[in-house]
Amino acid sequence: MIEKFKEWYINRHTYAKQWKEQTGGKVIGTFCTYVPEEILVAAKMLPARILGSHEPQDVTEPHIFGMFCPFCRDALAQGLKGRFNYLDGVVLAHSCIHFRQTFNSWRIHLPVEFSYYIPMPNTVQTPHARSYHRVEVENFKKAIEEYTGRPITEQDLDRGIEILNRNRRLLRKVYECRKLDNPPLTGEEAMYMAVTSQFIDKEEHSNVLEAVLKELPERKLPRDSGIRLMAVGSENDDAEFFKMVESVGSTVVIDEQCAGSRYFWNESVPNGDRLAAIANRYLDRPPCPVKDYPAHSRFQHVLNLAKDYRAQGAIIMQEKFCDPHEGDNPRLKKFLEENGIPTLSLEFDSTNPLGPFRIRVEAFLETIRGEELF
Amino acid sequence: MIKAGIDVGAKTIKVVLMEDGKIRAKAKVLSGFDQEESAKEALEQALKEAGLSREAIGSIVTTGNGRKAISYASGDVTEPRAAALGAVFLYPSARTVIDVGAEEARAIKCDPSGKVLDFAVNEKCAAGSGAFTEAMARALEVPLEELGPLSLRSTQTIPMNAQCTVFAESEVISLIHSKTQKADIARAVHDGLSSRVVAMVRRVGLDPELVLIGGVAHNPGFVESFKRTVGIDDVRTAEEPEFVSAIGAALAVGK
Amino acid sequence: MATPTKYPTEALKCWPKAKEIRQQYYKDYASAHDRGGIRWSGGAWAFDAVPMGLGDDVHVMTGEPYAASIAFDRKFAQECQDATDARGWARDLCSYMRIYWGSMYLNRFFFGGEFPKPDFYYQTQICCSHAKWDQEASLHEKVPFYCIDVCVGPYETLTEERLNYVVKQLHDSIEGMEKTTGRKYDDEKLIAAVHNECRSTSLWAEICTLNKAIPAPLDEKTMFSLYVLNTLQRSSKQIGDFYEELRDEVKDRVARGIAAVPYERCRIITDTQPPWGFLKIYRYMEQFGVVSVGSLYTFGLEGIFGEQEDGSWGPRKTPQQLGIKIKTRDEALRITADWNLSRPQWQHFYDPAIKTRMMLRIYNEWKLNGVILHLNRGCEGLTVGSSENRLGLIKAGVPVMTYEGNMADEKEFDERRTTSRIESFMETLGLEQIPGAVAAQAAS
Repeated sequence: MIEKFKEWYINRHTYAKQWKEQTGGKVIGTFCTYVPEEILVAAKMLPARILGSHEPQDVTEPHIFGMFCPFCRDALAQGLKGRFNYLDGVVLAHSCIHFRQTFNSWRIHLPVEFSYYIPMPNTVQTPHARSYHRVEVENFKKAIEEYTGRPITEQDLDRGIEILNRNRRLLRKVYECRKLDNPPLTGEEAMYMAVTSQFIDKEEHSNVLEAVLKELPERKLPRDSGIRLMAVGSENDDAEFFKMVESVGSTVVIDEQCAGSRYFWNESVPNGDRLAAIANRYLDRPPCPVKDYPAHSRFQHVLNLAKDYRAQGAIIMQEKFCDPHEGDNPRLKKFLEENGIPTLSLEFDSTNPLGPFRIRVEAFLETIRGEELF
Repeated sequence: MIKAGIDVGAKTIKVVLMEDGKIRAKAKVLSGFDQEESAKEALEQALKEAGLSREAIGSIVTTGNGRKAISYASGDVTEPRAAALGAVFLYPSARTVIDVGAEEARAIKCDPSGKVLDFAVNEKCAAGSGAFTEAMARALEVPLEELGPLSLRSTQTIPMNAQCTVFAESEVISLIHSKTQKADIARAVHDGLSSRVVAMVRRVGLDPELVLIGGVAHNPGFVESFKRTVGIDDVRTAEEPEFVSAIGAALAVGK
Repeated sequence: MATPTKYPTEALKCWPKAKEIRQQYYKDYASAHDRGGIRWSGGAWAFDAVPMGLGDDVHVMTGEPYAASIAFDRKFAQECQDATDARGWARDLCSYMRIYWGSMYLNRFFFGGEFPKPDFYYQTQICCSHAKWDQEASLHEKVPFYCIDVCVGPYETLTEERLNYVVKQLHDSIEGMEKTTGRKYDDEKLIAAVHNECRSTSLWAEICTLNKAIPAPLDEKTMFSLYVLNTLQRSSKQIGDFYEELRDEVKDRVARGIAAVPYERCRIITDTQPPWGFLKIYRYMEQFGVVSVGSLYTFGLEGIFGEQEDGSWGPRKTPQQLGIKIKTRDEALRITADWNLSRPQWQHFYDPAIKTRMMLRIYNEWKLNGVILHLNRGCEGLTVGSSENRLGLIKAGVPVMTYEGNMADEKEFDERRTTSRIESFMETLGLEQIPGAVAAQAAS
């Protein structure tokens, strides 16, 4: 069953097109992971996160200057190449300035029926963000209602919240298995699982997760799990990289990334006011560094994950030119190391030279093993 | 009157002597440390070939990165202008000129008179110029001039993942160690370069009436990759691509 | 080619005063504690009127102009950046931030002595780098950090709730400052500061509007030294007074036909901060008869514009001009929030199309012949969307040139190639060097 995720990952566009044909529903491209998908699901839409393809491309040069991160260019390239031509709409909830360019170039050059920008608070820690964001979530809901010409009822919202929460709970359960001495799944598999939940119909995805959860207790990896690693960083779904890391004597047992745990870690907590529950969920989730002000609230969360999953080292995977992460990493690295988690920092492009990376990862694993000896 | 054009490039210096709209002689020497001295040497070679004396020259116009370094020049023109004038002289229908040199690549959009309308330069990164193929040829341990023909023998496309020259070199070495065919690596090198060049060309807009000039246009591996990347089969390559800018410089007098 | 007209030029009388204000500003900041005063640091976009309520002895040092001053001293700028690199920070981060941090880490103040530690950091959050800047600085200096999130979307879509979100945070920040400094906050001082802020920034917009005249009374290279006062402390009365004086002088220049550049025959604007160590590229353009009459950056970073009755762009009317009497803290905060959110140079953060529209407006109203965009690797915040601006301008038929560089890290600027690019652009505009201009520069 677990292979299903990789299959979805590879065939995501075919999947979305088929979903559209079969359901007659609308597919909405989501930019970054701060879009309140509960609303989209409540409106029976398919949220599909805009991601890159990790292939070389030459089409974004006129649109986004080369000093911005490779991810924002790779993602735009997918649009310019027509791979997302099934989208009915696009939504961005305020995140970093790099990726906002992808959204803006998309709006200019790839018009869709519906495009919406949510000015989501950037300082998620201020208490005033809550009432403000509630209004913005409500505005977004109204815009969706206007677009579809159908009201979103409280029952719809409940359904949206429950569908999202169920998926989040199941992903947490799968991640729970990674705490075992011998995790029954690889980091690469976990990555496929988490990232596909960002563009596959949530219920369908949850059903497969449930089936996989039944299989996992019996499942054993055909190799020793080796050194337990954590992956920390910016957007990264570079499967080839995870595969390489896990082929040289290690297993990625936990991540703190938006393609992974940051996306699904917490639930919307129903409190009577459904929109507030949704709004708060996005303010309370493990933050992207772009929103983590004024304190570095994220650091403790990263360390807790490392401890809970008994990671012996962390690879800080940093998207080249990503200012928010670059603005966290030296202090995060220090913080982890002071707390006994050795780190390896790597800078990622849309495509990465695996050979030179392998050498670095192997050396890193050696130092971890070396420490074990003494 | 003989008009001389000198393209003082990063790697080589090209001289062209023209008379009444015809090329009388050409010469090329390595730039060396003293560009002015090397330019003189190239000029003398060209004069010798044409059987002319220095006095026969009416004007000397320079272009290229060392164009200001030549004290005996009567004037100088910018690289985009020289490239456009030269390209339009040789190929009157050319509207986009793509000049890939040792150190820089540029794309120029021009009108029928060779006037530059817009241009883009890839200046910050060796991975978008001839220097990239040189570094990769070194890593592959093949002479630079064999890199192109070698890549044409490639049977499969493999991705070149490294985005910068330094990482690309170690990636090539990794590929060699993993027993990847040298021909396939060579093709990946050219695909990587042409992808960067095409990205730059897109900034000025891709016009099918394009012509490739500059020394790297000699490399059949690059030309093949370039055609594949832009999706145009009929890409015109200047016959002696490295001399086009020198021709343009010579012609700049009176324009 | 016919000999171009030569306009009369004159040195700007206000010039020495601008320099004096700047020097005094850094002195006051460094010595504030000796006089029992308060020091705060942050960005040029912080709501600088707000800390003014803490007293008349509150001194600020905004980070960007401080780093830009250092950028002129290439050796010290390099030392600062090296110190930041050594702590593991990425080299592609904001070069102002890297310089400021470096000066802080090295504990060396550019104007002499040790790096003056502020009592708190105060910043707005709109650019990904700004808030990280002060987050790190406050951690290093172990002082509080107040950041006001202003990410409420473009001004044209401002709603009551969005404004309230900013205002509420401003209220909170006052409470924080009171706690940090142990001082009682004076609303009257805040109200006066907000008045001055509106006055200074509207006056600067008025001065920029005077540059619509042909010949332009000011060139951008000169404007760089003038707009900077608003980045230092736009809410100060002294700076408002200075701009009034400057406005009168520029008006007089327009009336008398005094030019900034003698051979003006081609008018352009640029974009973003220039490479500060290489302002001579502007002088080089002058040899071709080109004057840069400003940029959205010099105009709209600290100038607040509004549509005038005739539909053209000019200074936004201040609350005083509109007869609004600010009575309470809340009213003052609402006005400063609304005023700042209308800042032209904040709009592109949300959508490059808004910036393209503003640039086209400038192109038409300031009667330009072209635009030069600096793709500034040192500043993500102002370079964001530039490529789309270029496409938008080209689509509207505007000649555009771009060059790559960095406002404060000379390693990323190539002078020879940039001049060569400018020369090519001049060729496309049909311009040649004016012998008289070249000779005059050589002689000066």
